[in-house]
Amino acid sequence: MGTFKVGALVFDIGSYSVRAGYAGEDCPKADFPTVIGVTLDREDGSTPMETDGDKGKQSGTTYYIDTNQLRVPRENMEVMSPLKNGMKLMFEHYNIPAFFLCKSAVLSAFANGRSTGLVLDSGATHTTAIPVHDGYVLQQGIVKSPLAGDFMSMQCRELFQELSVEIIPPYMIASKDSVREGSPASWKKKEKLPQVTRSWHNYMCNCVIQDFQASVLQVSDSPYDEQVAAQMPTVHYELPNGYNCDFGAERLKIPEGLFDPSNAKGLSGNTMLGVGHVVTTSVGMCDIDIRPGLYGSVVVTGGNTLIQGFTDRLNRELSQKTPPSMRLKLIANNTTVERRFSAWIGGSILASLGTFQQMWISKQEYEEGGKQCVDRKCP
Amino acid sequence: MGTGADVRDILELTGGENDGPISKKDLINSDKKKSKKTTETLTFKRPEGMHREVYALLYSDKKDAPPLLPSDTTQGYRTVKAKLGCKKVRPWKWMPFTNPARRDGAIFHHWRRVAEEGKDYPFARFNKTVQVPVYSEQEYQVHLHDDGWTKAETDHLFDLCKRFDLRFIVVHDRYDYQQYRKRSVEDLKERYYSICGKLTKVRAASGTEPKIYIFDAGHERRRKEQLEKLFNRTPEQVAEEEYLIQELRKIETRKKEREKKAQDLQKLIKAADTTTELRRAEKRVSKKKLPQKRETEKPAVPETAGIKFPDFKSAGVTLRSQRMKLPSSVGQKKNKAIEQILMEQGVDLNPMPTEEIVQMFNELRSDLVLLYELKQAHSNCEYEQQMLRHRYEALLKAGSGGGCGGITGAGLAAATQGGELNSTNSTLASTPGGDAQSWPSTDDIKVEAKEQIIDVVGAPLTPNSRKRRESASSSSSVKKVKKP
Repeated sequence: MGTFKVGALVFDIGSYSVRAGYAGEDCPKADFPTVIGVTLDREDGSTPMETDGDKGKQSGTTYYIDTNQLRVPRENMEVMSPLKNGMKLMFEHYNIPAFFLCKSAVLSAFANGRSTGLVLDSGATHTTAIPVHDGYVLQQGIVKSPLAGDFMSMQCRELFQELSVEIIPPYMIASKDSVREGSPASWKKKEKLPQVTRSWHNYMCNCVIQDFQASVLQVSDSPYDEQVAAQMPTVHYELPNGYNCDFGAERLKIPEGLFDPSNAKGLSGNTMLGVGHVVTTSVGMCDIDIRPGLYGSVVVTGGNTLIQGFTDRLNRELSQKTPPSMRLKLIANNTTVERRFSAWIGGSILASLGTFQQMWISKQEYEEGGKQCVDRKCP
Repeated sequence: MGTGADVRDILELTGGENDGPISKKDLINSDKKKSKKTTETLTFKRPEGMHREVYALLYSDKKDAPPLLPSDTTQGYRTVKAKLGCKKVRPWKWMPFTNPARRDGAIFHHWRRVAEEGKDYPFARFNKTVQVPVYSEQEYQVHLHDDGWTKAETDHLFDLCKRFDLRFIVVHDRYDYQQYRKRSVEDLKERYYSICGKLTKVRAASGTEPKIYIFDAGHERRRKEQLEKLFNRTPEQVAEEEYLIQELRKIETRKKEREKKAQDLQKLIKAADTTTELRRAEKRVSKKKLPQKRETEKPAVPETAGIKFPDFKSAGVTLRSQRMKLPSSVGQKKNKAIEQILMEQGVDLNPMPTEEIVQMFNELRSDLVLLYELKQAHSNCEYEQQMLRHRYEALLKAGSGGGCGGITGAGLAAATQGGELNSTNSTLASTPGGDAQSWPSTDDIKVEAKEQIIDVVGAPLTPNSRKRRESASSSSSVKKVKKP
């Protein structure tokens, strides 16, 4: 018996981070944010940020990414990517022998051992419910909602503004003193700070807010109730500049916007769907014969779902909305690695299957068929 | 330490050959003994890797045979340790290979053992595809033409079927709606299977009957509609349906109870009549003919009426008074009733058990029980009649339209039924023949009365009761259709 896998690379390009690594492993080797720094031609060498990660735009300037851990000889390796862009770039620029594209929802389902199910992906920019049937995505049933990680970050930012707390990213802080809870921070600014651009500063502040978001916020079990929220235990959090506070009701109020958008501030009208509604709408658009199959494996992925209490609340909402005879099963991995990287892991699994070798799009096929072969061969 | 020899020496006992230094004999003897032991007993060698205690469990005595067939335990029992480094290294090589499942013959590279060079890619055999029929232009024009489908659309459908291996849900999802019309899954399936069927028929050799898969699109559509409705039921509807089902069950159990009571009553009355008939037959016919008639008529007497005295078929000697003993199936109340009547009439509770007396006494007690049961049934019917009459009067006063007619009918029927019983009870001198004939008709009335009574008693007395009944029956039919 030998290893029949071909050496393959798997890329998963998301809106928050890019995951990349070798097929056959259980977690990506490189996981870095999807932001590209472009140096402007300035004397001081500051690095302003472009916040969209599309590689194909300008081919002249050089790009920096935060960590570059893959050193890969590009001749003989095949590349598998869960996104649709960049294929042309791959074949022509990098001269790879074979390529394959796959939808990340399908890969997330595979990573959890299922070929049929509803994949609920709540990431940074979007929350989407994608029904997958027999390894194929049912495009008519995809439901997207913009309420996701970025929305919550925005709400956190507003909360801090209300509390009139300034967000100071760590790079600016030279030293800080410990202060009492709730009192304004006392810290010293670093001297000789380089002139940073606005976008980079914002990026750094966002990192601080995302850290707050990840550690403090919690989703309540039942729809938000003022009295119940007041009784919840508070969590202490300290910002990089030394400001520390106990957060109680706000912890529960902010993520409530995900499930029940009518209460959330800053939304244009009430046309947004809560997470529970997103799922049920998506299943509702599918053929009735497969609905039990979809409800029986609801795969929860995405970094935003790691908020404490998210899966319990989702479970509760779905069991309320479905008829009582429906068997509902939520599949949510407990480890952060698996949930954030489930699409990548699925790609790794797929690329290492023996029976997958016949599905690669080789260079010959691309030359013969062009872009249409992608539509044909990739599900 | 004192040895045996020393002790004997002290006690001045002569031990025989034990004097003198240890000679070879002792040693040789002992050897012989030992060797004897070894040849006598069967030793089962403890397999390597098995612990001593475990072995002791299996083979406790040397004389015991092992409980299982002795097998070679060296191989299986212990965990096999990998013997590394035994043989020569098998080298691996970065080899190019082709995959027969691929159509373009692309050459990939991977690591493989040198020994397996040249062999086929083993996973190629998993490349199974579904056989989608391909038709020619001619065939289409001649056989497969359809008004609702253009050729282009049909081609598109077949192309999708081939790509997605007949996964119709995915085909339906990827179907081109802009170019062609919007089709449901059933439409696609219908078209596909009809074409397949026609093609198999056309292409089959003449004389053979090919098996064609018939797809019933209408049935599928109805089934899916039903499922949709079921899926979209609100919780209130579900609760209402459950409530209705419970009510239905209650009604049915009540109906069964009443039927059972009616049957018991019927049996009772029959028994009463047949016993009277028997009595008459006895009085009329001479004693010689008696045994014959009795035999023919005895089976008509149901066993529930009266008391059945067990017949002693035991061989040997028994006391006659045993036959007089009341069986334990007779309840306390009936017992008391019997005793009371006997005391009233001045009959001895335990008479002298001569043959005739025993028989008569048993018969008497059986009749007494029958009488008692009839009296009870009569009083029950009277009570029911009273109740219904009260209800009828109450409803008349309330003046609701729908239930009235039914109730009046029920009331009257119950009254007639009660009347019947009255007549049979009071005069035992009724003609059995006439009664036997009239039984079926009264049965019918009784059954009808029961049904009407049930309707009145079971459902709430509102104009909506009919509606509820209808919806209950329709919901059960929903459940039946849901099954396929």
